[in-house]
Order: sequence, then structure tokens, then C-alpha cells
Amino acid sequence: MAGMEADAIRALLEDAFPDAAQLDVVDRTGGGDHFLVTVVSGDFDGLPLIDQHRRVNDALAGPLGDGSIHELRIKTKGTA
Amino acid sequence: MKTLNEQISEVIADEPVAVFMKGTPQMVMCGNSLRALQALTAAGAPITAVDILPDPRIRQELSAISGWPTIPQVFVKGELIGGADITEELSSSGELRAKLDDELGADRSQDVKVVALELA
Repeated sequence: MAGMEADAIRALLEDAFPDAAQLDVVDRTGGGDHFLVTVVSGDFDGLPLIDQHRRVNDALAGPLGDGSIHELRIKTKGTA
Repeated sequence: MKTLNEQISEVIADEPVAVFMKGTPQMVMCGNSLRALQALTAAGAPITAVDILPDPRIRQELSAISGWPTIPQVFVKGELIGGADITEELSSSGELRAKLDDELGADRSQDVKVVALELA
């Protein structure tokens, strides 16, 4: 499966978290398939970590499901 | 023979701490699986590991059950804790140890074992 641009991942996250206070996508290996994403958003306030990560996984379900993302590291935080 | 789905569900339900990973604790095949194992060990967890690599159907069935797309996946007493990132974060904050103390007792064993699923 061909790799993805970090920008494409970022666009999916921006759609899912339009009010994010911080949104970073790092292509960890430069190969377009190992990403570290950081999302800080008020959407996460009061949510357990697992549900915060589920929201990110859901936003990236497409590329996760078709194998374009081989490895995904997630960092999330609320703004409260 | 039990279906894969049944076998996976049983491991999740019956094992105090179940880790679905790439490889085994003796031969870890992925950095994230290693991170999860190290975080669990640091928190004093017993570990029951299942290698998902022998057959792609293991991962498919697992993700269908858990609703979690990536590997590793860590379960405590039947409940999905998360992947490597969450396990690490909860381990360094002390929350994981507190949860294990709560669920399994403070004088729990720290045995590491591997369960091999039967493939049809």
C-alpha cells in the first residue's frame, strides 16, 4: 500500500476536530506510513484516554483500515 | 474446535491481563508491542500474551471484538485499556499500578505466559 502525506492525515483530523487547540502530524520515518499525531482539543475534556484515542482512531479509520497507516502513535489532551 | 472469535473472547474474559501483540514476550516483533510489555512490567502486571502474527484473521477478529484498529491491545479483567501509548501513559502516571492493585490485589503474581490460538 502506498504511503500517505502527513498533510492528508492532518486534513482528516482537522475535519474531525475543527476546534482543536493543537494538531500535529509527524511522519516518524519519512516513509508515509508511521505517524505520530498529537491532538489537543476541548472535545476531550472529561473523556477517559481510551475514548480520546478512539476518537482519533475513528477519524483515521479510512487509512488505518486500508493499511496506508502502518503504525500510529497518538497523544491526546483536553484543554480544561 | 472453538472459533477464533470464541478463543479470543475467552482470553480477554479469563486472563487478568491479556496482551495481543506482534510476536511473543520472548521474541517481540514490533517496537510498540515491546513498549506495551515494558509498561506493563513496570506496573507490576502479570502478562498473558497472544501473538497475532500467525494468521491475519486473529487481528481481524480481535479488532471486530474490541473496536480498536491497531496492535498491541491490552486488556485488564476483560476491559480494553488501550494500545502502547495509553498503556505507557497510564504506567508512568501510576494509574495502571493503582488499577492493577485494585483489580488483582497488590500481592499479585507477575507471571508471563503465552497462549497460542488454535487455527482451523
